[in-house]
Amino acid sequence: MSSPAHSSPHREHHAPAAWFLRGAGHALSVPALVLFASYLGFGAVLQSVGFPLFAGLASTFLIWALPAQLILIGGLVSGTALPALALAVALSSMRLLPMVVSIAPHMRGTRRSLPAELICAHYVAMTVWLEGLRLLPRLPGEARVPFVLGLGNALIGISLLGTLTGYHVASEVPVPLAAGLLLLTPLSFTVLMVRNAATPTDWLALAAGLLIMPLTLHFEGGLDLLIAGIGGGTLAYGLGRLWERRR
Amino acid sequence: MSGGWTEGSALLVVILVGFLPTEIWRSLAILAGRRVEEGSALLHWVKAVATALLAAVVARLLFAPAGVLADMPLALRIGAVVGGVAAFMLVRRSIFAGVVAGEAILIAGSLMLGH
Repeated sequence: MSSPAHSSPHREHHAPAAWFLRGAGHALSVPALVLFASYLGFGAVLQSVGFPLFAGLASTFLIWALPAQLILIGGLVSGTALPALALAVALSSMRLLPMVVSIAPHMRGTRRSLPAELICAHYVAMTVWLEGLRLLPRLPGEARVPFVLGLGNALIGISLLGTLTGYHVASEVPVPLAAGLLLLTPLSFTVLMVRNAATPTDWLALAAGLLIMPLTLHFEGGLDLLIAGIGGGTLAYGLGRLWERRR
Repeated sequence: MSGGWTEGSALLVVILVGFLPTEIWRSLAILAGRRVEEGSALLHWVKAVATALLAAVVARLLFAPAGVLADMPLALRIGAVVGGVAAFMLVRRSIFAGVVAGEAILIAGSLMLGH
């Protein structure tokens, strides 16, 4: 790259295109592999329920939050009314607000630009948030916007590739592998939710969703997601508060 | 749902029911920023509901799956996930170990059943 005196990231001054490529380069990492595998499973799920491919790919690019995408597809399959489903997606995505608030100061250029801040915020989901908090504070101000755009677009590109591959591979491979692809999403999210559960409320919410959903499968009218999700989550929140007050 | 969706109608639903309810929080964070209170009771409730919603969708994918996963017995599907969680807890809380173990159980079971 440049001379040794300029090897510290603080000192380097590149064109925006170079910072964009730097960001894209940082996307080639273990988190990207995890994203690829997750979206591979999502693509297989899309194919299995008969959701159109282009709209499924658009959901990866536009929504860019796998839990929200899964709730959307799951709700559509079970026939949830669209306004109720929009509410469920909004509740699931609200966690993005504090994430964006915390990373926004690191995503600004030297000159404040509202459109640039709004566009950069679109790329914030778990991976960009974690990688951004790690990498961005070390970069000079003018590097941050192109770096985020490079990182975010490369990660979305890898995820689109995963979605597309999962969609096509699911119907081509032998039955045991195809079943394995379809298991990827429920299996990885169950393990992830077990890892992330810290408080009694977390455990109760996880148990409520997992246990109430099978009981509501035969209900008419697509209420299962609302009963198990909003009802179960509210129950878990109430019981969790009682639990913590007793101690 | 299958069959009833054209690319156009599905894309419209993705935008109105998926993109807008998600992007609003990212935009609000930039526009309203610090004025949003953290750690309030409302946010705790939202977190519990978000967790239960995701768990419910996961349960739906396990208990009422589509495609070839539906050809696997329920006991095998559940056994694979329980085995994955057990491997996660036994092998240094490794997500990778959990996912590999769960997949191995399902694929081995499927082969034994003659698929």
